Amino acid sequence: MGTLRFEGKFVEVHDGDTIASALFRHGIRTFNRSLKSHRRRGLYCGTGDCANCLVTVDGLPGERACVTPARDGADVIRETGWPSTERDALAINDKLHWAMPVGFYYKMFVRPRWLWELAEQVIRRATGTGTLPVSARAEPKRTRYVRVDVLVIGGGVAGLAAASTAEGRVLLADEGMIAAGVSDTGTRVAIDRLAAQARAAGVEILERHTATGIYAGLSVPLVGPQEMVEVECRRVVVATGALEAHGVFSGNDLPGVWLARGAARMAAIHGVAPGERAVVVANTTQGAACAQTLREAGVDVVEVTGRVLEARGSKQVSSVSVLTPEGRRAYSCDALVLSLGWAPRDSLLRMSPDADVFGAGDVLWPGCGLQDAETSGRAAARGERLEPRLGDPWPILEEDGYVCVCEDVRVHDLEAAWDEGWTSSEILKRYTTATMGPCQGALCSRHLAAFTESKGAVPNAQGRTTARPPVRAPRLEDLIGGIHEVIERRTALHDLHVAADARMDHSGVWMRPGHYGDVDEEIRAVRERVSIMDVSTLGKFLVGGRDARALLDWTLPLEVGAIEPGRTRYLLALDEAGYVMDDGLLAALGDGTYYLTSTSGGADRMEASLRDWADRLELHVHLVNQTAQLGAINVAGPNARDLLAELSHDDLSRTAIPYPGHADITVAGVPCRAIAVGFVGELSYELHHPRGRSGDLWTALLEAGRTWDIRPHGLDALDVLRLEKGHFFLAQDTMPDDHPAKLGLDWAVTMRKPAFVGKMALERMAGLPLARKLVGLRFDGTPQRGAPLTVDGAIVGRVTSCARSAAVGHPIGLGWIRTVDGEFPAALRAGGPTASVVATPFYDPSGVKPRG
Amino acid sequence: MAELRARSLAVVLCAADPAALDALVAPGHGARMLRTARDEALFVAPPDVAPQVGREVADRIAAMDDDAVTLDVSDGWAAWDLTGDDAAHAFSYLSQLDAPIEGAFVQGDVAHVAAKVLGTPSGLIMLVPAYWRAHVRERAVRDASAREVLSP
Amino acid sequence: MSLLVACPTCGERPFTEFTFGGELRDVSSPDSASDFARVYLRDNLAGVQRERWFHLLGCRRWVTLARDTATDRFVEG
Repeated sequence: MGTLRFEGKFVEVHDGDTIASALFRHGIRTFNRSLKSHRRRGLYCGTGDCANCLVTVDGLPGERACVTPARDGADVIRETGWPSTERDALAINDKLHWAMPVGFYYKMFVRPRWLWELAEQVIRRATGTGTLPVSARAEPKRTRYVRVDVLVIGGGVAGLAAASTAEGRVLLADEGMIAAGVSDTGTRVAIDRLAAQARAAGVEILERHTATGIYAGLSVPLVGPQEMVEVECRRVVVATGALEAHGVFSGNDLPGVWLARGAARMAAIHGVAPGERAVVVANTTQGAACAQTLREAGVDVVEVTGRVLEARGSKQVSSVSVLTPEGRRAYSCDALVLSLGWAPRDSLLRMSPDADVFGAGDVLWPGCGLQDAETSGRAAARGERLEPRLGDPWPILEEDGYVCVCEDVRVHDLEAAWDEGWTSSEILKRYTTATMGPCQGALCSRHLAAFTESKGAVPNAQGRTTARPPVRAPRLEDLIGGIHEVIERRTALHDLHVAADARMDHSGVWMRPGHYGDVDEEIRAVRERVSIMDVSTLGKFLVGGRDARALLDWTLPLEVGAIEPGRTRYLLALDEAGYVMDDGLLAALGDGTYYLTSTSGGADRMEASLRDWADRLELHVHLVNQTAQLGAINVAGPNARDLLAELSHDDLSRTAIPYPGHADITVAGVPCRAIAVGFVGELSYELHHPRGRSGDLWTALLEAGRTWDIRPHGLDALDVLRLEKGHFFLAQDTMPDDHPAKLGLDWAVTMRKPAFVGKMALERMAGLPLARKLVGLRFDGTPQRGAPLTVDGAIVGRVTSCARSAAVGHPIGLGWIRTVDGEFPAALRAGGPTASVVATPFYDPSGVKPRG
Repeated sequence: MAELRARSLAVVLCAADPAALDALVAPGHGARMLRTARDEALFVAPPDVAPQVGREVADRIAAMDDDAVTLDVSDGWAAWDLTGDDAAHAFSYLSQLDAPIEGAFVQGDVAHVAAKVLGTPSGLIMLVPAYWRAHVRERAVRDASAREVLSP
Repeated sequence: MSLLVACPTCGERPFTEFTFGGELRDVSSPDSASDFARVYLRDNLAGVQRERWFHLLGCRRWVTLARDTATDRFVEG
């Protein structure tokens, strides 16, 4: 015993209560308002299949009250209606069907266009269920991976029989508790016996774990209360059972209309009579059992068989008329309990045509007895495929009934849509949104099929719509559990950067320092003195084996054989379409071995590409990806060599380390491959070294660099420094279909080579006029990066990089321009500022500085 | 409960002809040979014997493949020991892979990064590229510890 | 949630460990027509296609496999 708070009032909670049973006992009949018409909706299925009883519990919307245990102290509110669910001003919508025709969104507020903006705000407020707790930050669920031989979904008689029979590692998952909600004694005894058998056989049973879909593999995600369980298995047995068929007749959505199992549970398990006088339409054996259960609970029961024609009432049902074998009969009542036939919960079964997914029990043979359920479960566990036994005809659709309760779609809406030409179940679904609500067609999927069949749709346009995951609505925190996460690569210097108060930024897959406090001072240090940067993120590869040169000669547009040992070349990596895939450096180490660097984001792609060609051309190459093994620090600035001389006894002259070239030297006791580079346009050396020594090297460089007031620089400074040199950042300044000419990089391609990746494409494209190119820009103000470049108001390009440059003296940038009347424009506007096309580099155009 | 501890290991990489690697006998010094690809093997050993392992592998492979590449790549790998009765259970929060039994080796997706996993008498060793050292710890602590499988 | 891809070194693994490399194209190009076909043309079969997979999170090697694109199942061949 306890209490929950319901919209500010206290409601008594009995042992075993669900939120629905506690509220129903308290006298609540209207649990919801419908989506469009704002009609009252009450408890209907009682088994968690429909969306009538969604409420907000402790701030979380969309909880199914009928299967959510009522916790002492829970705070429950209803979600729909204004100002309240009980008194809803929008109930006027129920009289406005003419204003909300089927296909509403395709017909209304189309013109004038501005009207939609206003209408949308009103519509969004009037529809929808519940309010997302936007301020609360939900923890993503943890994901646990489980590998089993057989997964059984559903812990009823068939499922437990399957689990106790299956061989190997077996897991059984049920979305509720085993045997919860079972009001029939015979079934309960069978379940207890089979559950004991399964446990004795070593089956792991996960209760309150909902399978949301079956994916190839086979792979089944289970959403549990505390964690997600991702199951990989060889065989799945779907034993999800069946619910009573949804009845479609005028007034079928009134509170007080029940599916029989829900009514029986309310009476037998929670001790609450669903009404004083109930009409039970018992077209199945379970219906008769339900009538008996209700009688025992003191309900005045009228048990009939036949077709329900109509239910009437205002706040809830007050009378019904039924076409019985004896003719049309009318009854007054406050509950109409339906057991019209069966609707298998077969979404999981239908979404997986896979040979290793087997159905068992009611999902296959709806309404089958205990013995059949057990037999079919054991057969499915052994991999026997049983023929479905859908004994029931398609459900009957009486006029004016609600087919889809979630989305407020009635029979005459389907008729109207059909008349408009939407003549198959799949497009009727999309047009009317029937089956697309929270219950995902659990109630109405068969009805939609029945409708199209009755209209004579061609065979492949009738029948059931495709079932797709998720079959139950998962929470956002379930969906993000362990899947969409940022995985940071960190260099060995990460902690030193953090300790130096660097602002760490995500740069592709890496964490890198953006700056250390003063970007302008970092730039000055590079241009005037000396600075260091952590470039450990570069892709680094050793290419050995007797065919190393042949591989590089084929994959790169350079004359690899012309690179003397000790020399280095800028490399462009092209794909077969001639587009620039990556860039970097290629160093010849001698002995036919090469050291190759790629961009920080391109390492994996570079490795895959090199291995692909080595493999397909059957070359004898030993490629080692050293990206993780080696750190790299760029020492840049006019005093770079002076600084290294403080820490190294090796010859640092241009004879020993030519530009562009490299040499193995020792700096501060750390073995380094020093590569003379020119990216920032000053004398600079990339020191590639064992990652474990990065900290020693960095610290020694900073210590010895005090003489020149050294400071490290980050990506923000690099962005300006490379821009002053007119160098692009791959992907920021380039596009996926850039061939070298568009980037002004023809010089990096040796077309006289007989063959290389991309050559044929470049030859073909050489015959085409260049319609677009990347150019240097000079501005008279600072534009936004990404600003459109215009000529006479017409957009002809885009600014891809821009910065104020102290070294150049005015704002500069890079950008794309297109030809206008066959010519590339020279004077443009970039929003406010004017832009003129100028030659690059902006800084040190003759390139003497890096030569030192 | 399971426990996660960083450990130091020597890792020597040998890239060579598949046939040469097939014939290669692992050196002593407690080194385990992991055949990571047709044309590649890693030798995992206690940290102090990297030079000896590297030399012996290089000498032995040279006889069979004269341009094989043998490198001490210890700096490229971060090693984590996952030990205790719940080691395999804790591992199930990080990977779909079955935890390898003692002496076995498996490579694949662990915490969404490329890992090599070795079964040891006391649990597992997880090897990941060094730039993911922190990632593995953070993921293990976030997931397995949150579910009270791993000692925080 | 995974299609399983059989890596000859590592065994069956979810496709999320791999990078897809597309249809296998013939690299032994005797003439410019076959060069052109290799670069620009794809068969885009509804049926059994030989294709490349790179085991990014495993052995980091390529494998050529035959998959029926209509059923999403790997087959011998």
